[in-house]
Amino acid sequence: MAESPKASGARPAEKTHFLRHYFEHHQKVAKTTFFQLVRQPLTSLFTCFVIGVALVLPVLLSVLLNNLSTINQHWDGSPQITLLLKKGVPSLDAGMLAEEVGKRQSIASSRFIDNEAALEDFKQRFEFKEAIEFLDENPLPHVIIVRLYPEIQKLDTIKQLRDSLVTLPEVDSAILDAAWVQRLQSITLLVERAVWVIATILSLTVILVLGNTVRLAIENRKEEIVVVKLVGGTDPFVRRPFLYMGLFYGLGSSIIAWCLSHWVIYLLNEPIQALASSYQLDFSLSGLSFLSTLFLLIFGLSLGWLSAWLAVRKHLDEIEPD
Amino acid sequence: MIHFQQVLKRYPDGYEALHDVSFSLNRGEMAFLTGHSGAGKSTLLKLIMLMERASAGSIIVGSQDLTTLPRRQIPYFRRHIGVVFQNHRLLFDRSVFDNVALPLEISGMTQRDIGRRVRAALDKVGLLSKEKLSPIQLSGGEQQRVGIARAVVNKPPILLADEPTGNLDPALSSEIMKLFMQFNQVGVTVLIASHDLALIHPLHYRVIELYQGSIKSGGRHG
Repeated sequence: MAESPKASGARPAEKTHFLRHYFEHHQKVAKTTFFQLVRQPLTSLFTCFVIGVALVLPVLLSVLLNNLSTINQHWDGSPQITLLLKKGVPSLDAGMLAEEVGKRQSIASSRFIDNEAALEDFKQRFEFKEAIEFLDENPLPHVIIVRLYPEIQKLDTIKQLRDSLVTLPEVDSAILDAAWVQRLQSITLLVERAVWVIATILSLTVILVLGNTVRLAIENRKEEIVVVKLVGGTDPFVRRPFLYMGLFYGLGSSIIAWCLSHWVIYLLNEPIQALASSYQLDFSLSGLSFLSTLFLLIFGLSLGWLSAWLAVRKHLDEIEPD
Repeated sequence: MIHFQQVLKRYPDGYEALHDVSFSLNRGEMAFLTGHSGAGKSTLLKLIMLMERASAGSIIVGSQDLTTLPRRQIPYFRRHIGVVFQNHRLLFDRSVFDNVALPLEISGMTQRDIGRRVRAALDKVGLLSKEKLSPIQLSGGEQQRVGIARAVVNKPPILLADEPTGNLDPALSSEIMKLFMQFNQVGVTVLIASHDLALIHPLHYRVIELYQGSIKSGGRHG
């Protein structure tokens, strides 16, 4: 009687063998699959490119989002009220008022800007120098910039505070600077939503494209699948090369998406800097951080694996020996 | 080793490929399955290796009742059965060695053991010197021997063959048959479907004859 081989290793010695074989086999399948893809460089590259391009848009939007949030952080989100003082309030009194206001509840800090200093600054920064020198007196009022605590975000509360500050006898008017911040925050929120919506739609596209690629690969290797099933290959064994294929496509696509994003950022950076500097902002797009790169990689790999898994699940079970 | 009890196989389109088939094949026995084409030979072999399920009746292979074997157990069950096909079903994108190694890889064997077992199997069928070639570079008879090496490399207790000499000339055919007889001599239960009566009658093995889906002769015993 011939020795009858036991399938999954009943003896303990075979158990460790089984694990070693398992990893050995994974390595082999990964290698074989990789070289299969490399042997058709154009087809593989084209597929990676299609998916890479699909990934670029969400990547770029998230880069924009990161950059917007750095502006936001710069702003730190705390609302600001600018008090314009009445003409004729002496500088000394104004400074004392600033100190007094700064001690009030819900006010984080206050800063006094002397009108002479402001005028000097004005002269330095803008090219109004000659125009200003024509003026008999300083047209600028003293200013107190009041920063509220960042927790105070409700517009009503902020307005109440402003109204109470306006009643001070030295104060002429008060300007609320919250609108800017709010607008920026809304834009950020919008872009954030857009990233998710676009990423979801494009992920679906990627799953369809990759799923179809894997389906074709399954079609091409039908005979092999049948033979493997006939000699006792389990479903995971049959699936494995296709899952690795999905992973490799995901990896390739992530790399291409990364390169394309950096290229686009490089192209956009100069005009954006020019635009920003026209708003007196020192701002430039920064590329993908290490964390974003890692995220892109994991995202690409998961998407590749998922598409392959879905395709394999749908098509592989249909192939049975006949 | 193989027990059929009143087995009925009806395909979804209503065609009855087998009906009331009962026979037994003992451990270590070798038999031929004959009949005109369409008599049900291939269907019977497919039932043994669970490429098809019986519509009624019971099939026991080894100690396994095939009517109750769950689907996910089928791969493990198949590892105990070697199968040789008429068109040998080799994979042309890999070497002779890799073709024969496939069942061992699947059953979870280390590369070193695989090398040893594959070479032993190739040696047995006389193709040790051709392990690195692609099957496409081999003759029809050699390709069939690679198919046999793949079927026996796992040392299965049962060996099935579906018209293994269908495409070969008489001289090559009898060589292939000799190989099967050698495996039977070391204890393997062998069942070969063939319509080549001139080839199998002189061999004096048991012959099970199918006729229109039923056993006409050779079914008794066991």
